[in-house]
Amino acid sequence: MKRASSFKLSGIAIALAAAFGPAWAVEPIAPQNIDPAAPASLHTDAGVASVGIGYTPDDGRRFGQYNGINEDGFYGLIDLNWVRRNDETGTWTRFFGRNVGLEDRQLRFEQQRQGNWGYSIDYSRVPRFEPLIANTAVVGIGSANLAIPTTLTTGGPIELKTKREILGLGFEKYFAGNWDVQVSFRNEEKDGTRIFARGTTGAGPAPSFGSFEFAPEPINASTRQLEAKVNYNGGALLLTGGYYGTMYDNKFDGGLNFTGGLGALSTFTPIGLPPDNQSHQFYVSGNYGFSPTTRGTFKLAYGRITQDAQFILPPAAGIPGNLDGRIDTKLAQFGITARPMPKLSLVGDFRIEDRDDKTPVRDYFVTTTSTTSNGENEPRSIKTTAAKAEANYALPEGFRIIGGLGYEEKKRNISAVRVVSARETTEETSWRVELRRPMSETVTGSVSFTHSDRDGSPFLTTTTSTGLVGSNLIAPIFLADRTRDKVRVTVNWQPTNPFSVQLVADRARDDYSGRDGSSLGPRTGEASFLSLDAAYTFSERWQANAWYSRSDTSLDHSACEGATGSPAACPGTAADPIWAASLRNLSNSFGLGTRGKLTGQIEIGVDFSYSDIKDENHLDTIAGGPVTSLPDISTKLTRLNLFARYALQKNSGVRLDLIFDRFETDDWTWPTWVYADGTRLTESPTQKVSFLGVSYYYKF
Amino acid sequence: MRWGYPALEFKVGRVGAALLAFCCALLLPAGALAQSADEIREGKVCANCHAGAVAIWGGKHGTKTDSRTPMGIVGCATCHGDPTAHLKSPSNPMPNRFSKMAAAETSSTCMSCHQGRSRMHWPGSTHDRNDVSCVSCHKVHAVHDRMRDKLTQADACVACHKEMRPLLNRPSRHPIREGLVACSDCHNPHGSVGPSMVIRDSVNDTCYSCHMEKRGPFVRTHQPVQENCAICHNPHGTTAANLLRHRQPFLCQQCHEPTSHRGNIASLTGTSTSANTLARGCLNCHTNIHGTNNPADLSNERTFRR
Repeated sequence: MKRASSFKLSGIAIALAAAFGPAWAVEPIAPQNIDPAAPASLHTDAGVASVGIGYTPDDGRRFGQYNGINEDGFYGLIDLNWVRRNDETGTWTRFFGRNVGLEDRQLRFEQQRQGNWGYSIDYSRVPRFEPLIANTAVVGIGSANLAIPTTLTTGGPIELKTKREILGLGFEKYFAGNWDVQVSFRNEEKDGTRIFARGTTGAGPAPSFGSFEFAPEPINASTRQLEAKVNYNGGALLLTGGYYGTMYDNKFDGGLNFTGGLGALSTFTPIGLPPDNQSHQFYVSGNYGFSPTTRGTFKLAYGRITQDAQFILPPAAGIPGNLDGRIDTKLAQFGITARPMPKLSLVGDFRIEDRDDKTPVRDYFVTTTSTTSNGENEPRSIKTTAAKAEANYALPEGFRIIGGLGYEEKKRNISAVRVVSARETTEETSWRVELRRPMSETVTGSVSFTHSDRDGSPFLTTTTSTGLVGSNLIAPIFLADRTRDKVRVTVNWQPTNPFSVQLVADRARDDYSGRDGSSLGPRTGEASFLSLDAAYTFSERWQANAWYSRSDTSLDHSACEGATGSPAACPGTAADPIWAASLRNLSNSFGLGTRGKLTGQIEIGVDFSYSDIKDENHLDTIAGGPVTSLPDISTKLTRLNLFARYALQKNSGVRLDLIFDRFETDDWTWPTWVYADGTRLTESPTQKVSFLGVSYYYKF
Repeated sequence: MRWGYPALEFKVGRVGAALLAFCCALLLPAGALAQSADEIREGKVCANCHAGAVAIWGGKHGTKTDSRTPMGIVGCATCHGDPTAHLKSPSNPMPNRFSKMAAAETSSTCMSCHQGRSRMHWPGSTHDRNDVSCVSCHKVHAVHDRMRDKLTQADACVACHKEMRPLLNRPSRHPIREGLVACSDCHNPHGSVGPSMVIRDSVNDTCYSCHMEKRGPFVRTHQPVQENCAICHNPHGTTAANLLRHRQPFLCQQCHEPTSHRGNIASLTGTSTSANTLARGCLNCHTNIHGTNNPADLSNERTFRR
C-alpha cells in the first residue's frame, strides 16, 4: 500500500535536506558543533557545552579561507548553547557560542519575555584569509603610505587578510493595542588589506608585464546600521513604519599615498580610497485584507544617500572641496492577491523606484583637446517601473495552470560625453506559462516556459568632449536588445515510502542584438542545469542520499582590435583582427551521504562531495588573425567528512571528526605574473588538508 | 480560503479557549474523559499518541504565558482545528492535516498569527505563488528551527534551489557554508518589494548593507555599478575571482567599445595594455572600477585609474 500522505514539491526537497544535513557543502567545523536542537529538548533549562581540540598537519589556504584553519597546528574547538525558559513568566534567556576557539567565532546573548519585550547582543567575526600569498618587497602594507621598490625586488611572503568584527544589538517591545517596536543596531569594524594595484601604459622591467605595481589597499573602516520600526497588527490592516540609516566611515580617507616605484607611475599618487558616505530612509509598508479572499500590500519609501568627504586632492579653482553628493530615492509599490473563484487566484504588482542623483555637476578639470572626458562629474539617475500579473487556475487531477505577464522599464540620464554606447530607456516584457502539480500521492512537479524581450530607445552614439562621434560597435550587455527563453522541469517522485527522487532540469537561451551594422558585442548566452537527488531511509536508524548536478553556462561575444576613425571601424587585419570569444563554465558535481546509529551509544555519518569545474575560453578569428585560444582552467574540489559520536553517558559523550579536503586548480591568472616592483602572488595549485577533531560534550 | 485565516476562528481569547476546551472534554471518549480540560488544552492528550510532536512545548510555540502561542490559546487545536471527532475515533482525521493541505491553506494558518512585520509582503511573493508554504521550510514542532540558524539555513534553501548548490562551493564565494553568511542576509524568503526577494528595495541597496564603500556617489562613477551590482557579479559563487561573472578582459568587452586597447585579444603573454588577462586584468590599471572620488585630472581621470 502506498503511504497515506501526499506531499508537495518543496516538501520532499526539505525532507532530503533535513535527513542528511549539508550534503551540498560539508563544512569542516560545523559538525563539531553539537546539535543545537539537543540542549533545549523538552527541558526549559538546558544547555550543551563542547570542548575539544583539532589538528591539521597541512597548510590549506582555501580550506581555511574563512575560518582560519589554514596552517598546520592545533586549534581549539569550543561551542556552547544554553537556553532557559522561566515558565512562570515566559522569559527566555539564551547564550550561544559557536567556534569560540577559532577565527570565525560567533557569540550571542539574548533575553526575551515572549510577547512583551526582548533584547539581544551578539558579536561575530568574519575573517577572510587571502588564498594568494604575496611575495613582495612593498613596504607599508596595511597603511595608507606605501613604499614601492624602484626596481624588481624579491620580497618575503606576506599573508593578506581582512577581518570584520560585528557587534549587533536588538530590542523589541510589544504594547497594548497590537503595537510593537523593533530596534536593531549593527556596528562593523573592518580592518586588513586586500589585493590592489596601480598601473599605466608602457613597459616595465623584465620579466614584469608592464608598468604595474602591487599596492595593497587598507580597508580599515567602520560601518553602522540602525533600523527602528513601529509595527501595527490590526488583523485586516497591518502596518510598519520605520527608519533605516547607514554610515560608512573610512579610516583612510586621505587616499593611498606612494613613494618610489616607476617613473611612469610617479603621478599616480594619491589614489582615491572609498569616501565616507551615509544613507537615510523612511518607509511605511502595509498589508490590508479587503475581504477573506482579497488582500493588498504596499510600500512607500523615501531615501537619501549623501557623500561629502573632503577630496584627497584640491580640485580646479572655484570648485568646492567635496562632491556634495546626494541621491534621493523614492519608492512606491502596490500589490494585490485575490481569489475571485475557488479555482482561480490572481496576483498583481506594480512598483516604481526613482533614483534621482542630485549631485551638482561641476567641471573638475579643463579639457583643452578632444578627449573622452569633459571634466564634469557624471551623476547617475535611474527610474525603474515594473509591473507583473499572474493567474493560477486549478485543473482536474490536482494540476494547476499558471500564466503570467511582466514588464520593466528603466530610464537613465545620459552624460554628454560618452565612451560606452548609452540608451536612455530599456523596456522588457515577459510572459510565462506553467503547468504544475503541487500535490499528489506519488509524483509532483512542474513544467514552465518563460519568454522575455528587451529593447529600448535608440542608442546614443559615443561622443568626445569636442563632439566627435566615437566608436559605436557594441551594445552593452545590460542595455542590448535581448530575447530570452527558459524552460524548466521539476519532478518529485516517491515510489515507495522510504525512497524518493527529485529531478530539476532547466535550459535558457539569450539572443542579443548588436548595434546597427555591427556584429560585435554579446551574441548568445546559454545555460542548462540538471540536478538529480535521491534519498533512501533504510530504517529509523539509517538513511542515505546521493545527488548529482551538472551546470553548463556559456556566452559568445566578439570584439576587434584597433578600431579607429569617426565613426570607428574595425581593421580586420592580421595585426588587428576581428575575433570571437566563446566562454563556457561547465561543472559536474556529485555527493553521497549517510547517517546512522550503530548502537544506542554510537552514531556515525559520512559525507562526500566532488566538483569538477572547467572554464573554457575559446577564441576564434572572424577576420584577420591569427587568434590563439586561452587554455582551459580546471578546478576540482573534493571533500570527505566523517564523524562519529559516542555517548559516554546519557548527557555526555565524545565526538570525532575527520575531514579530507582537496583543492586543485591549473588557473593561469597569477602563476606567471610579475609586478614591476618584483611582487609575485602565488598559490599552491594542489592543496590537500586533513583535519582531525576530538571533542567532549556535556549536556546540562 | 486563501486569505480566510481559518485559525483565526480559534484565536478567540481566554474565554473562548476555555469554552472550546470544555466542549472538547464533553465529547471525549471514555479514556480521554479522564483527562482534564487543561490537559487537553496543553496537548497532553495528543501526546499520548503523537509523541514526536511534543517537542513543540520546548520552543516558542509552547510558551503558555504568551497568550498568542498555540499553547496559550487552545493547544494543538489552535493550528490543527477542533479535535472532537478525532478524539472520538483516531480514524477521524483532524480538520487541519497539513500534509494534506494546499500550500496556501497551510500558510494561512500560520499567517493568522505571524502576518505582518517581515512577512508583510508574503501575499503574492514568489514563494507564495509557487506553493511554498511555511512548513516547507520551517519545522514547527522543533525546539530549534534550522531556518533560524545560519549554519543550517542554506541546506533548506538549496533543497529547492538546486542551481545554487554547485555555486555556493565555487572558489570565489561568500562564506555561506561556514555559517557566516546566510541566504536570509540578502533575501527575505517571506517576500519583499525588491527583485528576487532581496531584503532591501533593490539589489544594490542590499549589497550596500555590507559593502557600503561601493555606494558613493563618486566624482567618477561607473554606470553599471550604479545600476546593478549583478551586471558584473554573481553573488552566489564563481570561479573567476571577486564573484565576477567572467574573467577580464571578456567581462569589460561586453560593454566597452574596441577602440584603443579595449578590443585587445585576451592574452597570457602580452605586456602593457596587452596584459589584459592575467592578474587583475583590466583592473591592473583601472583599479578603482567601482568609482573614485579623486577629482584630479591625469590623462582622463574618468578611467578609474586613481
